[in-house]
Amino acid sequence: MALADYKRDMEGCSRCSSCKWVPFNQIKSWRFAKNCPSICRYNFHAYSGSGRMIIGNSILEGRSELNDSVAEIIFRCQMCGACDTACKVYRDDIDLTEVLLELRAYCIEQGELIVEHMAMIDALKREDNVLGEPKARRGEWAQGLGLKDINSETCEVLFHAGCRYSYDPDLRDTLRGQVRLMLQAGVDLGIAGAEESCCGGRAYELGYRGEAENYADDLLSRVKASGARTLVTPCADGYAHLKFLYPRMGKELGCEVLHVTQYLQRLAQQGKLRLRESVPLLVTYHDPCHLGRMGEPFLADWREDKLQRPMSLKRSGRKGIFDEPRDLLTSIPGVELTEMERIREYSWCCGAGGGVLEAWPDFALWTANERLEEAKATGAEALVTACPWCVRVFRDAAAESGLELPVYDLADLVMLSAGITETARA
Amino acid sequence: MGLNIIVCAKQVPDPEGPPSSFEINEAELKVTARGIPPVINPFDENALEAAMRIKESHEQVSITLISMGKGISKAVILKAVAVGADASLLVEGDSLDASLLDSFATARLLAAAVARAGGYDLVLCGRQAADTNAGLVGLGLAQLLGIPAITLAQKVDVAGDGVVVERVLPDGYEVVEAPLPALVTVSGEVGDLRYPSLQAIKAAKAIPQTVLGLADLDLDPSTLGRVRTVALAAPSRERRCKMVEGETPEEAGRNLVLALRQDKVI
Repeated sequence: MALADYKRDMEGCSRCSSCKWVPFNQIKSWRFAKNCPSICRYNFHAYSGSGRMIIGNSILEGRSELNDSVAEIIFRCQMCGACDTACKVYRDDIDLTEVLLELRAYCIEQGELIVEHMAMIDALKREDNVLGEPKARRGEWAQGLGLKDINSETCEVLFHAGCRYSYDPDLRDTLRGQVRLMLQAGVDLGIAGAEESCCGGRAYELGYRGEAENYADDLLSRVKASGARTLVTPCADGYAHLKFLYPRMGKELGCEVLHVTQYLQRLAQQGKLRLRESVPLLVTYHDPCHLGRMGEPFLADWREDKLQRPMSLKRSGRKGIFDEPRDLLTSIPGVELTEMERIREYSWCCGAGGGVLEAWPDFALWTANERLEEAKATGAEALVTACPWCVRVFRDAAAESGLELPVYDLADLVMLSAGITETARA
Repeated sequence: MGLNIIVCAKQVPDPEGPPSSFEINEAELKVTARGIPPVINPFDENALEAAMRIKESHEQVSITLISMGKGISKAVILKAVAVGADASLLVEGDSLDASLLDSFATARLLAAAVARAGGYDLVLCGRQAADTNAGLVGLGLAQLLGIPAITLAQKVDVAGDGVVVERVLPDGYEVVEAPLPALVTVSGEVGDLRYPSLQAIKAAKAIPQTVLGLADLDLDPSTLGRVRTVALAAPSRERRCKMVEGETPEEAGRNLVLALRQDKVI
């Protein structure tokens, strides 16, 4: 697909600005009624989903040209998908996220590159992770856990840690705890260790599709060699890419793909994971974009008139992973869940995605702080989420703004309840 | 007395992209890169790295990066100059689409650009471009500049008034010297170009850059040789899989050896 393939989507925009707001029937207050960090922060129509579609159509028709300023507007967006979800409440014939992805790929093809993203892709090519950390150290987090090495043995379940979890020292206890929970439940678990690579999804979202395909091929061959029937990842970004992007690119992994919260919930339901200890805490849950609305499985592309498209193929954002994390959370004795105003498919983004954290960290932290304020307004004692990128940016934002709200990964609380002693930090 | 090095760098679609990144339009006779960025031709990056090593080991060395083409990515140039170039000179224009110019036309344009860059002692080019793999421009440029050329360098150094080059041979290398000014085409054996830091890339916006058009060069555009594509097709790849049978692993191994011998692989 190319930008031109979405011409009808772009020219079909009626500029109603629904893409800027939580679906109207879900708005609870004026304070938390907006859904798009980009338009909310910059307040010019160009920074909305609609504005970017108008830009795309204009470039396509030769009425305007792509330059550094236009490219910056296109990329000052977390690719959170909130605009798409809101648009699709009213429209069946516009795939807004697809247009944004095509615009980014177009920028890359035309050489309109954001230097921070270029440096990130260079680091990815060099070290196989988006943080530019040494590849040789990728598996260090697993030392002493006794996990199978899929480079030399087969396993039932392959654990793909992802880039952020593999290297962020602040998240190491959480990652090790997730694995220990699974081992305790008797799961035959393997990892690729230093040979694990990025899933390539972030490269795709930045427009570097060729790079994404290279990494998809790499992961595909590793999964096949492992013999695993299930792949579990704690990275919400990775989950969305494996669940949607890979099959869309024709890269079938040939195994079940689950986010770690889904898998832990399954183990709890099977009685293999016992949540005994009470964790008396009033919490609120943040839906990571890529686990929630962006985490829908790929079904099929529709290249005909979208008004004739079966509803089951419309990517509404409602078929993502929303219930399992909440079920797991509320099955922990003592935990009480209070919801924010913007939840599930109309959740507000953490701010870290789409290359924003790397290129405009101030924008990422501003977006995260907006969410922290919403969380604080619920009266919750802590914010819980299920994505390493969300945890990272929320903790950094809270530290910067001085807002006192502990941020936990859902697995941290599960560990506490299951009696796993890796230190859970907030 | 300083040493002025010119490095010629072409932008090409990222050659590390998967095959699916190259969309071949047989009807319109063109190849379109999809989902991959332009990059500096890897061999030209080797040339820049060779220049940087000379700069590190000698005093008063100045590096000017020259690039020519249609729609040159400023970000890609920025990253290249950020490793340590002192200036860049770009020649841009819609008629400078590399796929429409023949190698000698490219060499003529570069020679005109080199004339605009001021004095030079050493010109470094990649051994060939990753898109066309012709390997002709460097030698053509030396011919037009009227200076000696040494190809396939794995090491380049300057000693006195000359350049000393280790030139790659199929079974080793030979050492070749030439008086300055000279042109050297650089091979991959020199090593990868160092990575600039993000801070260096951002700071590189302050490095002087000259942007010229075709009209600024001292040549007649109508005399430039143009390439006319007659036909374009993706090479067909056929994979044939033959299963080697055997009752035991040993027998299967023997049969595999026989099959490989039969096919003259071993």
